[in-house]
Amino acid sequence: MIQFFHVTKRYPGGQAALDDVTFDIARGQFVFLTGASGAGKSTLLRMIFREEVPSTGQIIVNGRNVSSIPESKIPYLRRTIGVVFQDFRLIPRKTVFENVTFLPRVLGTDLQSQKKMAYQALRRVGLAHRLNAFPPELSGGEQQRVAIARALINEPEILIADEPTGNLDPELSREILRLFLEVNLRGTTVILATHDRATIQRVGRRVLTLDHGRLASDQELMGTDPPALDPLAGMETEEKPVPERSEHSERPERSDRPDPFEVPEDFERPEPPPEEPGA
Amino acid sequence: MKFLQALRYFCREAAVNLLRGWKVSLLAVLTIAVSLFIGGAFLLVSGNLSASVERWRGEMRVVIYLKPDTADADLRRLAAEAARGPGVTSVEPVTAAEARKRFGEVFPSLSDLVAGWRDEPLPASLEIGVSPDGPGATEREAWLDGWRKRAEVTLVDDDREWLGQLETVVAVVRSVGLALVGGLLAAAIFTIASVIRLTAYLHHEETEVMRLVGATEFFIRGPFYVEGLLQGLIGGLLASGALYGVHRAVLARSQGSLFSSVLTLDFLDPRQVAFLVLLGGAAGLFGAVVSLRREAL
Repeated sequence: MIQFFHVTKRYPGGQAALDDVTFDIARGQFVFLTGASGAGKSTLLRMIFREEVPSTGQIIVNGRNVSSIPESKIPYLRRTIGVVFQDFRLIPRKTVFENVTFLPRVLGTDLQSQKKMAYQALRRVGLAHRLNAFPPELSGGEQQRVAIARALINEPEILIADEPTGNLDPELSREILRLFLEVNLRGTTVILATHDRATIQRVGRRVLTLDHGRLASDQELMGTDPPALDPLAGMETEEKPVPERSEHSERPERSDRPDPFEVPEDFERPEPPPEEPGA
Repeated sequence: MKFLQALRYFCREAAVNLLRGWKVSLLAVLTIAVSLFIGGAFLLVSGNLSASVERWRGEMRVVIYLKPDTADADLRRLAAEAARGPGVTSVEPVTAAEARKRFGEVFPSLSDLVAGWRDEPLPASLEIGVSPDGPGATEREAWLDGWRKRAEVTLVDDDREWLGQLETVVAVVRSVGLALVGGLLAAAIFTIASVIRLTAYLHHEETEVMRLVGATEFFIRGPFYVEGLLQGLIGGLLASGALYGVHRAVLARSQGSLFSSVLTLDFLDPRQVAFLVLLGGAAGLFGAVVSLRREAL
C-alpha cells in the first residue's frame, strides 16, 4: 500500500530531514509514527500525499510512484487519502458543513448527498449538532474533530493524522483513537504520528520510530489496554472482525514488548539536522 | 466532476468574493467601466461621423460657379454639356435670381443683405450630382480641371475634397480612440489582475486546503476566473448604461438644432453594445488568468 525505498529529503542548504528511510505498510495496517520534534515525522507524512517530494529514493502509494507522478494526477492521488493536519487547516469563514464537504464538492457530489455525508461524518466525531457553526466558534478539540470528519468523509483508503490528539483532553483523545481504530477495522490504512507514548503503549500495533531523519526502529507492540480502545468493546457480538494483517502483524509477547521510544543501541545517529520547516 | 455543478460553485464563490471585498471589486469594476465608457464614446462618435460621411457621400455634388454675366441660354448649354460628364447623375442649372431666392429662404434673417442690390449678388451655377461609385479620382479630376480652365467658370467646388478631409478626421478620431482605449483597457486589466491577486492571496489558506484534499487546479482557480469575468461584465454593463444616458441627454439638448440636422446621432447598435460588454468580460477574464498564471496561488 505504502512503500518507501531509500527515501532521503534534503531542504536547500540543510541537512537531511529524512535520511535513507525504507519501510512498507500493507493495506489495512494501523501504524504509529513516532519520534522527537524535528525527527522528520511531518515530512514523511507530507511525502505520502505528495506535499513534499523526496530528494532521492522512491515512494509508492497505492501502486503509484508518488515521486514521479505528473502534477495533473496529484489531485486523484490525494482523493484516496484523508489527512488530519496538526494545525487542523479549517477555513474560518466557512461553516463546519462547508469545511467538511470540501472533497465531495470537488468531486461534484450533489448537495443532498453532501448533507448526508457531512451529517454522518460529523456524527462519528460527535459534532453533528455543530453543522452550521464556524470554526472560530468551536473549541480546539471540536476543531480537531471537524478536521477528522473532513478526512473521513470520503471513506479514504489511507488515513494520515499528524498529532490528532494533541489538542484533546484524555477522554476525547481516547474517543478519537477509538474512531481511528474503527476506521481501520473497515479496511482503511491508518498512519498516526504522535508523541504520546502512553497512547502507543496502550493501543499497541506497529510503531515506526524516527530519529533525526533516520528510521530508528520498526516494531510491533502489544497494547496494554486494547479493550478500552476497542471500537467494538461492549458490543454484544460473538465474533469481532479482525483487520487484515501483514508480516508486521505478528505481535510479540507482552513481556517482550520493547519501548517504542527507545532507540536501539546499534542505531547510528546522524548529525542533527536544522529545524525542519513545519515539523 | 459535473461541469454545471462546478460552474454553479464558481459563480457562488465569485459572488461571495465580490461582495466580501466590494471596495476593491468596485475599484476594478469602475476602472473597466471608465475605459469602456471612453472606448464606447469614441465608437459612438466615429460611428456617427462615418454614417454622416456616408450619407453626405450619397448626396455628393460638384458646384460650378459661373461668371455673373452668364446668360440663361449659356447656362442651359453648359448644363447639357455637364450632364455628359463621367459619373454625373443629375445637373441642376441655378440662375443668379434663383440663387438669391434660395439665400433668402435658407437665411431669412440675412435676406435684407441681398435685397437692395441692383445687380444679382450671387452667381449662377450648375449643381451636379455625382455617383459615389462613379469614375476614379484621376478621371474625375481631369474632367473638373477642364471646367476650371473655361472662361465662363469662376470656381469649381467639389464636395469630395472636404469629405476626404472629414474622412481623415474620422480616421484620426478612430485611431486616437483605439490607442486611448488600448491604454485604458491595459490599466483596467492590470487593476483587475491586482484585485484578483489580492483575493487569491486572502484565500491562500483555503486554496491550499482544497489542493490537499484533491481539488484540481481548474476547480481551485475557477472562482477567481469567474470573479474577473464578472467584474469585466459588470464594468461593461455600467459603461453601456452610462453611454446610453449621456447619448439621451445629448439628443434631448440638440433636438431641432442645426447640429442634429447635419449629423447622424444614433446610439450604438445592439451588437456594438454586446461587443462592449463582452470586451469588458474578456478583459476581466484575461486579467484573472494573467494574475493567476504568475501566482503560485
